[in-house]
Order: sequence, then structure tokens, then C-alpha cells
Amino acid sequence: MSNFTEKKIFEEADNWLKKNKRVSLATVVQTWGSSPLGVGSRMIVSEDGNFLGSVSGGCVEAKVVEECISLIKNKKVCKKIDFKVSNENAWEIGLACGGDISIYIEEIK
Amino acid sequence: MKIEIIRETLKNKSLKKEFALITNLISGDSEIFIPGRNLTGMFSKYFDEIEKKFHSNKSGIIENSEIFVQIFKNPIKVIIVGAGDISMYLIDFAKNLNFEIIIVDPRGSFASKERFPDTKIINKWPNEAFNEIETNSKTALVTLTHDPKIDDSALQYALKNNFFYIGALGSKKTHEKRCFRLIEAGFKKSDVEIINGPIGIKLGGKSPSEIALSIISQIVSEKYKNKV
Repeated sequence: MSNFTEKKIFEEADNWLKKNKRVSLATVVQTWGSSPLGVGSRMIVSEDGNFLGSVSGGCVEAKVVEECISLIKNKKVCKKIDFKVSNENAWEIGLACGGDISIYIEEIK
Repeated sequence: MKIEIIRETLKNKSLKKEFALITNLISGDSEIFIPGRNLTGMFSKYFDEIEKKFHSNKSGIIENSEIFVQIFKNPIKVIIVGAGDISMYLIDFAKNLNFEIIIVDPRGSFASKERFPDTKIINKWPNEAFNEIETNSKTALVTLTHDPKIDDSALQYALKNNFFYIGALGSKKTHEKRCFRLIEAGFKKSDVEIINGPIGIKLGGKSPSEIALSIISQIVSEKYKNKV
């Protein structure tokens, strides 16, 4: 569970939308091994790159923010991203804890 | 996800309903599951699996599908008897941990709105206050007055009502006397031993904020030990 409860994150998502911002939501939907945060941890990202909440211990947030922004820009509905240690790219991003996580991102409409 | 689903989630949480948020990870559709109520569209195919996940309190993707289920159960409730300094720090920690807090103290000057803004306060003796509080195995009791007149009746209530955590402030000596009184009142030695006294895990600190930290750490630890 992330430090920010769903309540805080969902309330803030609602506030951002009321300010006519486009917002996407990232959710941890699956974990394997020693992932830092559990299933259901969430983060919101606005089109201008502001974010609240977390989906890992800071390991993949930057990449998730980037993916969330491009999801909004490309007008896609949703996407599932797997971060695996065996994936070279993941090492660059830095999932050094030895776990794998699946993160689902979607735009809030 | 539609903003309406997010608003409904917030509403259900504020009404203290227990429910699940279901998402189809391919189509992006979402729906709220409330036990005893039917689901619509393609989600209805997964009703049994969703219900099973809900009852075992396990959020995750349903096997061999792309359906994600996130379960929302009510947070644990911590009843604090005694509205002193330690309580103020306890409340700060507990809020960040998403615990529901209720303060009970018959001494109005202690448990005032000024000292505890945004907190549910019951200005009554514990035996009266418990008439107004719903308790179950997800409830914890922390007694902090170390005044037997106030603390003892709360401890007796918690011992009889299956609380997952009971902790009482006071030295080893105070606690020995407390246990003795409870046994005199008819409780078994094995029941009384459930009480964490002196309260908190050993951190070595003495200040009110440090004591609050040691208490809240013990509650978190017991929460996981008892799978609450």
C-alpha cells in the first residue's frame, strides 16, 4: 500500500479533472518476488507531469510518468506495462529490488 | 476509467461500505462490485471468481483472464481511552496509516474539539461510550489514562469482545496491579495476558511522541500477525 491512500489520490484526481486537466491513473495489478509496493498501489499523473502517489519505491515512477503522459497525448484508453528484472531496460530504470511488477495505466475520463 | 467510478469509490468509502473495484485490463471498462448485487456486461461472467476474491480479501488479476479486482475493506479502528499528549501524536501517526480513530475520555477539558480537531471524540465513561461504537475483530484498544476508574472498564469490554489488539499504558508495577484487578473481576489469567502492558514495542524512548511511535508500531505489527 502506498503512503497516499486511495482516498487522497482519488480526491486529487477529481480536483485535477475539475480544473480541466487530463489525468491518467497507474495501478499495480500484479507483483512477483520482492516488489516494494503491493497490488492496488496507485499513482495519478497529469498531462503536465505532476504526480501523486507511487507504484514502487521510486524505481519505476519516472518511466510510468512518461508512459502516462504519452498515453494521454496518443489518446489511448489503457496499457499494461511489465517491469521485469530480466528485461535489460528495467535495469536501466532501476528495479533493483529483484521483483517484477505489472502496472496498468489508463486515462480518467 | 470513468470519473464517475472514482466518485462512487470515494462515496462508498465515506459510507464505510465494503466493495471491490473491477477493471477489464484490455477494454479499460470498470465497475463497482457490492456483495449481493449483480454485475453487468462481461463482468457478470466472472461473478463467482470476483465474489471468491472478495471474501478471501485478495486483490489481484483473476486467473486466466484480464480482469483486475481491487478489494476495499474498512480500515482497522483504534479506540484510544485518554486524551493526553500521547494521544495527539498517536492520532497523527494513525491518520497516515489509514486507521479510523475514536477518542474516549470523560474529562471534557482533555478531550476537547480544540485539542483534537477533525477527530471523533466521545466525552463519556468507556462503558457508556462503547454503546455508541461498533466493535469487532478489526478493533484495537489503547488505554492511556492509567487511572483504573477510566481504563479498567474499557479493558474489560475489549477482553470480552475479541479485539485484535489491547494495550495499556503504565509501568510493570501498574500493569501487575491492573492484571490482578482484572483477575479479581473474573477474567482468566490467560485472557489478561493478551493485554500488551507496559504498552508498545521497546524503542527506548521516553517522550510522548516516541511512546506514541512505539504504540503504533506494536499495533501495525499485531495487525499483520493476526492477519487483520
